[in-house]
Amino acid sequence: MLKKLTQFYYPETIEEACKYLGKKGEKTAVVAGGTSEALRQDNSIEALVDISRVKELNYIRKDSSIYRIGATTPIQDIYKCSDLKGPSGEILKYTAGKIGSTLLRNSITAGGNLAAIFPWSDLPPVYLALDAEVVLRKGKPKRTVPVENLINERPNKFLGENEIIAEIAVPVYGKGTGTSFVKFAKTANDYSMITVATRVTLKSGKIEQARIALNAVTISPVRIKDAEKILEGQKPTSDLIAEAAAKTAEKAEIRKDFRASKEYKREVLEVLVRRSLEEALEMAKK
Amino acid sequence: MKLNTRINGKDYCLEINPNAMLVDVLRQAGLKSVKFGCGEGSCGCCAVMIDGKPRNSCITLAGLAEGAEILTVEGMGNPQEPHALQQAFVDSGSTQCGYCNPGSLIAAKALLDSNPNPSAEDVKDALDGNLCRCTGYVKRIDAVLSAAKAMKKSKKTSRGKK
Amino acid sequence: MAKTTKKTANKKTVPTVSVIPESPLTFEKPAKFNQVNHSLTKIDAMGLVCGQQKYVADVDFNDMLHVKVLGSPHAHAEIKSIDIAAALKVEGVVAIYTWKDVPRVPRTTAGQGFPEPSPYDTYLLDKKVRFVGDRVAIVAAETPEAANEACSKIKVQYKVLKPVFDPEKAMDKGAPVIHDEKDCRVPIPIFYDPKRNHCSHVETAVGDVKKGFKDADIVLEKKYYPHYAQHCPIEPHTCMAYLDEYDRIVLRTSTQVPFHARRITAQTLGIPVKKIRVIKPRIGGGFGTKQEVLLEDVCALVTLRTRRPCIWALTRAEEFMAARTRHPMVCTIKSGVKKDGTITAISMRIISNTGAYGSHALTVLSNCGSKVLPLYRAENIEFIGDTVYTNLPVGGAYRGYGATQAAYAMECQMDEMAEAIGMDPIKFRQKNHIKEGESSPIFKALGEGREGVDMAIGSCGLDKCITEGMKKIDWKKKYGKTGNGTKKRGIGMCCLMQGSSIPEIDMGAVFIKMNEDGSFNMLLGATDLGTGSDTVLAQIAAETLGCKLEDMMVYSSDTDMTPFDVGAYASSTTYLTGGAVITTAKKVREQIEAVAAKMLDEKPENITIENGVCYGKGKKNSVTFGQVCVFSLYEHQQFQIGAIGSHISHASPPPFSAHFAEVEVDTETGEVKLLKYVAGVDCGTAINPTLADGQTQGAVMNAISFALTEEYIFDDNGRMLNPNFGNYKIWSTKDMPEIDTFLVPTYEKTGPYGAKSVSEISINGALPAIGNAIKNAVGVRLTHPPYTAEKVLAAIKELKNDAGKAKAKPAKAAKTTKKVATKAAAAAKTSKKATAKKPAAKKAPAKKAPAKKVAAKKPAKAKAVSKKSKK
Ligand SMILES: Cc1cc2nc3c(=O)[nH]c(=O)nc-3n(C[C@H](O)[C@H](O)[C@H](O)COP(=O)(O)OP(=O)(O)OC[C@H]3O[C@@H](n4cnc5c(N)ncnc54)[C@H](O)[C@@H]3O)c2cc1C
Ligand code: FES
Ligand code: FES
Repeated sequence: MLKKLTQFYYPETIEEACKYLGKKGEKTAVVAGGTSEALRQDNSIEALVDISRVKELNYIRKDSSIYRIGATTPIQDIYKCSDLKGPSGEILKYTAGKIGSTLLRNSITAGGNLAAIFPWSDLPPVYLALDAEVVLRKGKPKRTVPVENLINERPNKFLGENEIIAEIAVPVYGKGTGTSFVKFAKTANDYSMITVATRVTLKSGKIEQARIALNAVTISPVRIKDAEKILEGQKPTSDLIAEAAAKTAEKAEIRKDFRASKEYKREVLEVLVRRSLEEALEMAKK
Repeated sequence: MKLNTRINGKDYCLEINPNAMLVDVLRQAGLKSVKFGCGEGSCGCCAVMIDGKPRNSCITLAGLAEGAEILTVEGMGNPQEPHALQQAFVDSGSTQCGYCNPGSLIAAKALLDSNPNPSAEDVKDALDGNLCRCTGYVKRIDAVLSAAKAMKKSKKTSRGKK
Repeated sequence: MAKTTKKTANKKTVPTVSVIPESPLTFEKPAKFNQVNHSLTKIDAMGLVCGQQKYVADVDFNDMLHVKVLGSPHAHAEIKSIDIAAALKVEGVVAIYTWKDVPRVPRTTAGQGFPEPSPYDTYLLDKKVRFVGDRVAIVAAETPEAANEACSKIKVQYKVLKPVFDPEKAMDKGAPVIHDEKDCRVPIPIFYDPKRNHCSHVETAVGDVKKGFKDADIVLEKKYYPHYAQHCPIEPHTCMAYLDEYDRIVLRTSTQVPFHARRITAQTLGIPVKKIRVIKPRIGGGFGTKQEVLLEDVCALVTLRTRRPCIWALTRAEEFMAARTRHPMVCTIKSGVKKDGTITAISMRIISNTGAYGSHALTVLSNCGSKVLPLYRAENIEFIGDTVYTNLPVGGAYRGYGATQAAYAMECQMDEMAEAIGMDPIKFRQKNHIKEGESSPIFKALGEGREGVDMAIGSCGLDKCITEGMKKIDWKKKYGKTGNGTKKRGIGMCCLMQGSSIPEIDMGAVFIKMNEDGSFNMLLGATDLGTGSDTVLAQIAAETLGCKLEDMMVYSSDTDMTPFDVGAYASSTTYLTGGAVITTAKKVREQIEAVAAKMLDEKPENITIENGVCYGKGKKNSVTFGQVCVFSLYEHQQFQIGAIGSHISHASPPPFSAHFAEVEVDTETGEVKLLKYVAGVDCGTAINPTLADGQTQGAVMNAISFALTEEYIFDDNGRMLNPNFGNYKIWSTKDMPEIDTFLVPTYEKTGPYGAKSVSEISINGALPAIGNAIKNAVGVRLTHPPYTAEKVLAAIKELKNDAGKAKAKPAKAAKTTKKVATKAAAAAKTSKKATAKKPAAKKAPAKKAPAKKVAAKKPAKAKAVSKKSKK
């Protein structure tokens, strides 16, 4: 349990934080909420850089057409944020409220939730469904990349040594878009067994864009693009939705765990994707 | 390493192991109300307020509390001058073994601090991380609602104690 | 005097003057209650909510050692060698003990009456391990980290043995023998056959079951599989040991049974009882798991050997894997019923899985019968139970104690029977349940390791529990209305009974002394594990003495300071120790009256007491309790006003309860949503209604998650895969359904101020009530709880398949019905009628062909039909 840890750094700015991370001769790591078991089990880390007090990382803002969520924003603040509205805002809030418990949500940060990806991570699939981007900082320099790239290449590999997640940028969708999040678990604060996040954006009666993202049932958050393709460019009908749901169930690489059999998960996944798409569509039509 | 915090209004400079969890540090500092039930963030009996937010101290590295204000139930009230929530827990029969109470009271206080008019649903939401195996939660939810009422009343008459 | 010790017989004739007290059969009912039956504040509540009350781990010693026990990674293995050299080198390690270093004394960890009805099959340490998590070695170190690291450095060579996990195969020929050691044994003459993994056996019969089945219109046989569960006290087992100034061992421990803990620790270590003091401070819940002596022997050993204080707290994972669990069972119920709703015969067969050790093996098993079968009238009853060893976690006492498992089976079967004869399930129960004044032969037939005690029901509020509950759940409006769409609704119910203490076995004792301000110290052996028993017993004392609760200062559960009590189990504290409180307080009151009489110059019989004041005749003059005590301590013929008293009970009157559940089942995912839960309980007089209600609510919530989400998941090697709250799901506030609990007052003459027990009964309801509600909603009977979404969906699909098949070949289905129902043509007709009638009322998916449920009339296999349990 962090056996080699000797000290904490408490930077106040991003640049300072990155400087500590880049320090030679010392194995450092970022800590934000500090809730991740993986972090606490690491016995090579010598110093932790506590970014939770970097003020410029803690915010939820709306800039023209983007919601910007600072990396150290506690999940609870997303859940309780009254400025998050519409198809993107609502799904973010709703999903945040499904994570852990109040006590945990006060600790878990948006950045930590994306940097340490687990099958049960709830927000990352939502970011996929919303085509969100992530802003990475290496001191002053910054780059903005799709969340999908970060997830696909695993954050710990994707991030440079002294690079941190600074912000998650979520496009604001307006009328014509609907979103839906489904977490299938035993109890309210259980880890998810099946997570589904969907988005449909309609244009002149047809589905212009569709997103179907999963987690928990899979090893990590993924989009099922073959299923999305079935929907895109088509008029939404229940048959079409059912077809996309079936395709999702067919294509998803179902993870094996003790929660339920793969067969069951596949069967229910199809139901949940269908319901999720229906729900998103309903919202989009409003 | 040194940890500087303010606990229940008193300044502390504690010598700690860098990898120590806050729950152990607080208990060693004499704050025995902070309990240990699972060590994985799932039961909530270790909950303390850190800078106004209730969190699981068993998965919070003590180092993260540098410079923070910490509140435990010892700081909420005592039998002579209990907090309205403590009184309500007592009056309603919300305490059986009591092991989960310190954590639940901290979570309840955080709720009332930010929402003095909670609904039963709000209470259920705010206490969702505090497992109790004895009471079945029913009385506790009433207790928080009645404490909220009592606090509003006492605010009207005086300026409220805590 | 020497000959009067045996007082079980002839309760009615009062023996000639003896110093051995006779426990009263009944207690008088006062005209009015002043202290009891009032929801007074729990005496430790304020200290608890302010963080002032101390639990085991809340005191410090400078030189405290931290204990850790290495658990076995194998379910069944022999320890070939243990190398502790590397572990000893870990900085901070002070001592390591393996089986070679400790005395080998077979004993049980079950804290029960003595000699225990559980086998002596457990050792401090052994060279064989019998389940994953079984003790291998004890480490004591300066820090918990060092103890952990040392554990990881102990090198153990195991010879892995073939395990046995399936309780139904554990007794097969050739099955691996779990207790092949020579020295395991039972301390009392009861059945025990470890060579066949056969841990206990109970068998009894009343009437003629064969005939009963013959007389039935319909015979149903079904197997139910109640599952593993853990108590999940939020405070894990914790024990601290230290040497006092007299070099005695003090065990400060989270126990429900301080006196049994003292006895068993002494036995295990081979030291006299007088060398040990056990203190139970506040404890963070028990529910039965702390009725087990699991840590005390180890801590005492470490402190005796190192001469340093030590502490050991189980981790949550250890709590799940190595503490105790609810015995999973296979319950087979065969029942015969007539069209008019008469139950002609019940046969209950149980295979109970006690895991690797036989803690509470026999008594949990017999409770399956004794706390369930008397509920319904039947002339012919048979109970055959077997407990088997397997290489899985160890069963133990868990709130409900066998009644939970058997009531689940029985109450599901009741619904099945009602359905088969086309009778409303509530009417069916109302027709058959036991009533005031009635008795059941089962009371006598099934005791705890010996014959039970005959008794008639003195109080029964079950009818009211049912009718009130029906209103609260809106039964008439909702029953059978499943609704359209993919989500179906259903409601279900069940009736329950339990007991109140173990008659003629359990004893509780109390000491009360008076102080000069008119207050009293009450010292209790009884153990408050959070239930509020300290408060309840103080209320009883205050009522009897004629003072207020706030004048009672209670100190409990300290083997040096307080008199004996068996401890907190078997729903006994209020009922049993409450009796001791009345007896003791009466003696004290008599002394007070005598002194007051002298002070007032009155006759003692003229003294009346009200609110701590003694009045002379006509209330002309008075003295306060304080004045009385000052007089007795300082003024004339000085003596200490005080007394000690004990009580055993001669009966175990059942509390009764009816539970109702409303569910919504998602037929596409199998998810069950619990919408509402109603529970009404008759616990006689509720000494403290708020606390009694709290017991019901807590038990109900525990039972609900037990029914729906709590589950032990094992890998192929017998290792639990989910030993943490993250994956073993008990419910939080956000999962709560609407819960409505209520008390139905009755008056139980044999109990203190009319009280019966309340703590256990309500944990038995959710499994059957929810199971029946699911059946009502979607037509499937789930026999393998918990009712997880996956299982529910599978059952729904199977039902659809069956229905499909039945439709495809209607002729065949009909034939099966007839064949199975054989000569009871009436039965076939009734069952057809029943199924024909139902679907019209509810649009549930087509019913299973009744054929499946109407079992062939195989002759019952009962052999010995003696009235006694095997000894
Ligand atoms: C009991 C429990 C239940 C949970 N249930 C859920 C759930 O249902 N759904 C869910 O989504 N999550 C859940 N979580 C949370 C999840 O498992 C992680 O613990 C959490 O997301 C980590 O966030 P954190 O802010 O605490 O990160 P930390 O623990 O501080 O860090 C985690 C990792 O991310 C790195 N990191 C943190 N911030 C940054 C950054 N800004 N830039 C680069 N790297 C960074 C750290 O170096 C570390 O490697 C649960 C956690 C617990 C303990
Ligand atoms: S001990 Fe911290 S959440 Fe359980
Ligand atoms: S009161 Fe015992 S766990 Fe809550």
